Amino acid sequence: TMGLLDISFLSDLKRMNKRQVFYQFLSFGMIVSSALMIWKGLIVATGSESPVVVVLSGSMEPGFYRGDLLFLTNDLEDPIRAGDIAVFRIKGRDIPIVHRVLQVHERDDGYVKFLTKGDNNAIDDRGLYAPGQLWLEKGDVIGRAKGFVPYIGMVTIVMNDYPKFKYAVLGLLGIFVLLNREA
Amino acid sequence: MSQENAPIKIDKWDGNALKNALDDAAKKIMNESYGLVESFKLIDGRLALCSIAVSCSLFALLWDFLYPFPASKTVLIICVACYFILTGVISVYLLYFEGGVFYVGLEKDKAGIDPDDKWTLQSSLKKYDDQYCLKITYTGGVSKQTRSVERVCSVTEFFDEEGTLCYDLYEATVKGLKDSLSADKKAK
Repeated sequence: TMGLLDISFLSDLKRMNKRQVFYQFLSFGMIVSSALMIWKGLIVATGSESPVVVVLSGSMEPGFYRGDLLFLTNDLEDPIRAGDIAVFRIKGRDIPIVHRVLQVHERDDGYVKFLTKGDNNAIDDRGLYAPGQLWLEKGDVIGRAKGFVPYIGMVTIVMNDYPKFKYAVLGLLGIFVLLNREA
Repeated sequence: MSQENAPIKIDKWDGNALKNALDDAAKKIMNESYGLVESFKLIDGRLALCSIAVSCSLFALLWDFLYPFPASKTVLIICVACYFILTGVISVYLLYFEGGVFYVGLEKDKAGIDPDDKWTLQSSLKKYDDQYCLKITYTGGVSKQTRSVERVCSVTEFFDEEGTLCYDLYEATVKGLKDSLSADKKAK
């Protein structure tokens, strides 16, 4: 059967003219573009630069476990309150952290600073902040969790731990789309 | 592309491959046996629409890279909206304008004065089905009238046990269909 598949692949593709070959690449482009546009659309709709994040550590157990997928919104008008689950980045590092807001200080001019701590951690996050930093500000926040789906994020964690696996999967998907000729 | 006159051989259980093989063979017959000139306007329309859609998304990607969100918010909204409107347009285009048309051939007027007559081929083959429907439509260049004929055959009539296309059998069927339209034309 492998022999038959080889031949059928080649024969279908050999018979394509320039336009049909171009269309194969365009179809691939359309699929990638659709995913891209949905992602950018989510960014605009939620106001968050990363509307979907994966929980990477167990610091928020038993609420969130490693591998959970979180959906974020970043409404800048909505005031940050103690108890909110905020996803933030420390300046100079790219890994987002998902922890709970512990203390909030607000000034009359609208300036807000707050302290966070993981539910499952013994101490607050000051040890994680940049040297000399004691508080987080609104600008550090990527968003606040509005919903979640358990376990699914494990796929992302595995793909990032084994990048070769990620490239293999993406590569195979890409090849399949490019070589699959629609009627 | 047509250097190989080797017989087309495909996986006989693959519906897509069956339809593609029959369509490609029909195109070849129309081009070679009747000297029609293939018109790519329909396909080019589709290619143009898809290219614009992909450019839209690439532009959004580039703009967002150069001016990170939230500075790029307006541009992103415009690009995303344009992209999805375009995908809607493309779907409509595929459904109504193309509608299964895989070949448009022009019959040039011998004197070179009158507009070309148009021969259009459409086909359909449902998933997991064996009934291949071929429809030939003739549009007079001068008269602007259309006449069409269609025939439903089982793919088993043209493919052998190994999945090789029996070109001669298929050629006879396609030619028969087209000639019946031409005969009609002359009679009227």
